[in-house]
Amino acid sequence: MKAWRDPVALLAVPAVLYLLLLYALPLAWLLAKSFIGPDGLTLAPYLDFFSDPFNWRVISNTLLIALWVTLVCLLVGYPAAFALARAGAALQIAMLVAIILPLSVGVVVKAFAWQIVLRRDGVVSQFMMALGLWDEPQRLLFTETGLVLGAANIFLPFMILPIYSVVKLIDPRLLEAGATLGAAPVYRFARIMLPLTLPGIVSGVAFVFSMSVSMYVIPSLLIGDRFQTLSTLTGRSFLFMRNEQLGSTTAVVLLVLAVSVVVGSSWLARRLGSST
Amino acid sequence: MSFLDVAGAEKSFGAAAVLGGVNLGVAKGEFVSLLGPSGCGKTTLLRIVAGLLGVDRGSVRLDGQDITALPPHKRDVGVVFQNYALFPHLTVAENVAFGLKARGRGAGETREAVSRFLDLVHLADFADRSVRALSGGQQQRVAVARALAVRPKLLLLDEPFSALDRKLRETMQIDLRRLLRELGTTSVFVTHDQDEALTMSDRIAVMNRGAIEQFDTPEAIYRRPATAFALEFVGLSSRLAGTVVGSQGDLVTVDTAFGRLVAPGRFIPDSRVLLAVRPERITVDAPGNYALTATLRDAVFQGSKVQLHFEAREADQILVETADLPQGVPAPGTEMRLGWAVADTLIYPAP
Repeated sequence: MKAWRDPVALLAVPAVLYLLLLYALPLAWLLAKSFIGPDGLTLAPYLDFFSDPFNWRVISNTLLIALWVTLVCLLVGYPAAFALARAGAALQIAMLVAIILPLSVGVVVKAFAWQIVLRRDGVVSQFMMALGLWDEPQRLLFTETGLVLGAANIFLPFMILPIYSVVKLIDPRLLEAGATLGAAPVYRFARIMLPLTLPGIVSGVAFVFSMSVSMYVIPSLLIGDRFQTLSTLTGRSFLFMRNEQLGSTTAVVLLVLAVSVVVGSSWLARRLGSST
Repeated sequence: MSFLDVAGAEKSFGAAAVLGGVNLGVAKGEFVSLLGPSGCGKTTLLRIVAGLLGVDRGSVRLDGQDITALPPHKRDVGVVFQNYALFPHLTVAENVAFGLKARGRGAGETREAVSRFLDLVHLADFADRSVRALSGGQQQRVAVARALAVRPKLLLLDEPFSALDRKLRETMQIDLRRLLRELGTTSVFVTHDQDEALTMSDRIAVMNRGAIEQFDTPEAIYRRPATAFALEFVGLSSRLAGTVVGSQGDLVTVDTAFGRLVAPGRFIPDSRVLLAVRPERITVDAPGNYALTATLRDAVFQGSKVQLHFEAREADQILVETADLPQGVPAPGTEMRLGWAVADTLIYPAP
C-alpha cells in the first residue's frame, strides 16, 4: 500500500504509460484475436493447431533449437565471464568492447556473414579440412548445427554480461578459503562458485532462451523455410498466408512456452541453489 | 626439527624481491607472530605456508613431511583470512561444516564438531543465521570456528583483528589465545600491531624487507632488540646518534650530543653508532651510572605513568616514562637530570 504513496513511484509513470499504450494493449488485442471466432469466444483455433502433427514438429523445433543455443552460450559464456571478471583493467575494457560492439551490427548483417562462414567452401569447412577432421567439404549452412552456431554467436553477449556482473562481485578469497578447508578444486567449484554465480546463470539463460525461442531473422537466413519454428510460422501466417487467427494462435503458444520455460527454470534453479 | 619448518624461502613478484631466504621454525603447540610493517613480506610468508602461493626457492615442512609442492587442500593448514572470507550463501553452521563435508566426514561427526566449535566461540545460538546478518566480531569467530573445526595441524591467522574496534579486539585476543592453548593448536599469526604480538605470542618473528630480523620471546625482543629496526618497531625508546671514541674490554665510550656515554658492546673507534634506552629504564633526578641534563619539551599524562619528551637534535630522541614524579608533572622548559644503568644501554651500528 505504501509503495503507492511513495513519490519515487511516479518516476515509473512515463515507462508504464509508454509500455501500456504502445506495447501491452496492441499485444493483448492481437493475442485476443486467437480466442475470438465468428460466434464469439472460442478455443477452436487451438484445437485445430494442436491436432496437426506438423505443428507439434514446429513446437519441438522451436524448443530444441532454443535449448541448444542456450546450452552452447552457457558453455562458452560461463568461462568467458570469469576471464572477463578477473582480467586486468586494460584487457577487461578490450574484452568488453569486443563483446558489446558487435551488438551494434544488425542481426541481418551478422546472419549474412554466417552464411559465408557456413557454406560448403566457407571458413569452417576449410578449417576442418585443414585439420584433417573432414575428408571432403561439407555444408553447414541450412542445417540445424549451422543455425545453433550462428544464433549462439549472436546471443552470446546476453549470457556473458549477466554472469560477469555476478562473478565480478565474488571475493576471490572464498575459493582460497575453500582450499584451506580441504576442498578439492571440483568441490570448491560445485559448492562455492556455482551457487554464488547461479543468479547470473539464471538471468543469462532467461535472456538467451527467450531471445532464441522467438528469433525470426536468423533462422530465416541460416536455415530457410524447410525448418519452421513458432516465430517463422507466425511471420508466415501474417505476411504470406494472411491468416491472422493462426498467427495470433502461434504467437500465444510461443509466449506461453517461453514464459513458462524461463519462469520454471529460474524457479527450479533457485530451489536447487538454496538446498545445496 | 621443528613442527613447521620453513627453510630458505625466496619469493619475487617480477623484479621485486618480497622474501629473501627466510627460515622459520615453529614448535608443536606454539603461538608465533610474524610482526612487521606492511610490505615486509609477512603475508607472503603466510600464503606460502598455506600453499596459496608457491616459493621460488626453499622448502616448507610440516610435521616431518615436505609440503612445498602440495596444493593447499592437501596441506591440512587452516587459515583465518583478514576479511574472514565467509561463504555468503551458507548459514553459520554450514560455514563451519564446510571443511568437514569437503573431507567427506560423516553427518553425525560433522554435526557434533559444528556444535562443539560453535559452543567454543559462543555462537551456538546463531547456527542457523545467515553470515551476512552477523557483526564483525561474530563473523571473525565464525571464521575461527570454521578453520578449527577440521582440526588442522597448523592454523594461520592473517590480521584477524584489524577490522574490529579496540575494546572488542582486546577481549577477542585473550579469548582466541585461550581457545588455541586449550586445543593445543600450533598457530602462526600475522600482524603489524606490536601490542597484539606482545600480548598473544610465545615467540615473535620481527620482519623487515623480506627478512626475519629477530625471532625470540616477546620479553627478549623488548629488552634486547637484535637490530635497530626491531628496537624501533617494538616499543618506544630514547635514541642518540654518536661516534665511538674508545673501547675497553666489553665497553665502548660514545661521543653524543649529550656528552660522552658508555655502553656495553664491541665497536672499533670512529664507528657511527646508535645508542638507545627503553623509556621506563630512565630515572629522573636520581643517581644512575651516569647522568645527562635535558630540557623538558612536553609532558603527556597517561594515568598510570607520565611520558616526558625532551629537547634533542633532529636525529635524536629523549623519551622517558615514569610513574615517580613527587613534585607532580613539571612544566615544559624545566631542566631535568636523567640517568640509567650502563647495562640497560643498547647499541647498534648507525642505520
